[in-house]
Amino acid sequence: MEATVQSQSKWKKRFLPIAMACLLSAAGVFLALRTPGDDSLELADNATMGILPGIDIAQRQAELQQQLDESMISFSVNTSPVFETGGSEGNLMLENPANNAKLLVVEIYSNDTEELIYQSKALPAGSYIENARLDKVLEPGSYPATAYFKAYRETDHSYIGQVGADITISVLT
Amino acid sequence: MKRKNLLRFLAVVLIMGLFTVNAYAAGSYQDKDIPIGSSSEVLMVGEIEPTIMSVTIPSYVPFHISRSIETENKVISPRITMISHSGVPVSVDVVYTNVNLSNLQGTTWGSDRYVSDNQIAIGFQAETLANQMPASLDQTKWLLANTYQYLNIASLNAYGSSSIYVVGTLGSAVPEDSSFTVTPTFVVSRA
Repeated sequence: MEATVQSQSKWKKRFLPIAMACLLSAAGVFLALRTPGDDSLELADNATMGILPGIDIAQRQAELQQQLDESMISFSVNTSPVFETGGSEGNLMLENPANNAKLLVVEIYSNDTEELIYQSKALPAGSYIENARLDKVLEPGSYPATAYFKAYRETDHSYIGQVGADITISVLT
Repeated sequence: MKRKNLLRFLAVVLIMGLFTVNAYAAGSYQDKDIPIGSSSEVLMVGEIEPTIMSVTIPSYVPFHISRSIETENKVISPRITMISHSGVPVSVDVVYTNVNLSNLQGTTWGSDRYVSDNQIAIGFQAETLANQMPASLDQTKWLLANTYQYLNIASLNAYGSSSIYVVGTLGSAVPEDSSFTVTPTFVVSRA
């Protein structure tokens, strides 16, 4: 009986201080995490990790380069199309190359009158119109004109931009 | 005697043979001969190939402008490379520039590098150092706002290419927190 009491006392002497120390440490850590002190810093919840846009000029230029590449238009056109008569077909030779990845609509305006004299339907990438009839019947003569190539996205048909090409239309008889 | 006659006969045959060959050759020669100074009639058909112009150029040009850029040129521009894919030298011009400054209250358009406090000016400059945006505004071709102009910005050799950059500047009172649009129309023509 006496031996049992001695054994319990020995256990209390050995492990009670250790258990108390562990308990106090855990409580301290818990309080330190839960209770902000006056000098603690909170992390901004609306911060985006990374470099501020606009600071890195090279990065900004690379983004602009990507946008520019999308806007590039390739096309081919006959600079001197010939029509036998004002109402016949002529060799306009309009091409939307396969590497364009855009739809092209071609509009031709007379430089003198600014009148629309031809409008194509949308040309898919990798297609061409070799011969076509003008929408307006022209008298015999030579007509300086501008062919505008209007680019549209293939996905949603939204407008991208346009470029022009100077041509001279000849109507023979 | 007999032998002598035979020899005479053979001589006569030989002489006659020579005359016959000569006459035939002379006849045939006259038939086929083309006298000097004349020609036979040959039909030559010439077909004029149409001149195809084939190019790659931008339909719009994105750029950023900021006073915080240290150089005289305040624009961050992509490298704009235009390419001719045909054997035709090509000239690239800006014929019209649509400018919309409605988001920049009180800002007007400038037509050269000397802008006032509330002005902004944009133009193009040919590449002088490979892959480097221009730092100065020397040799800039300035865009005019909302008016027709024939501003040559590049000349392409046959199967050649040329690179340009957007450049520009802005006055100290131009607000920096808004955007504006500059839409030049490029037109290519045979050089």
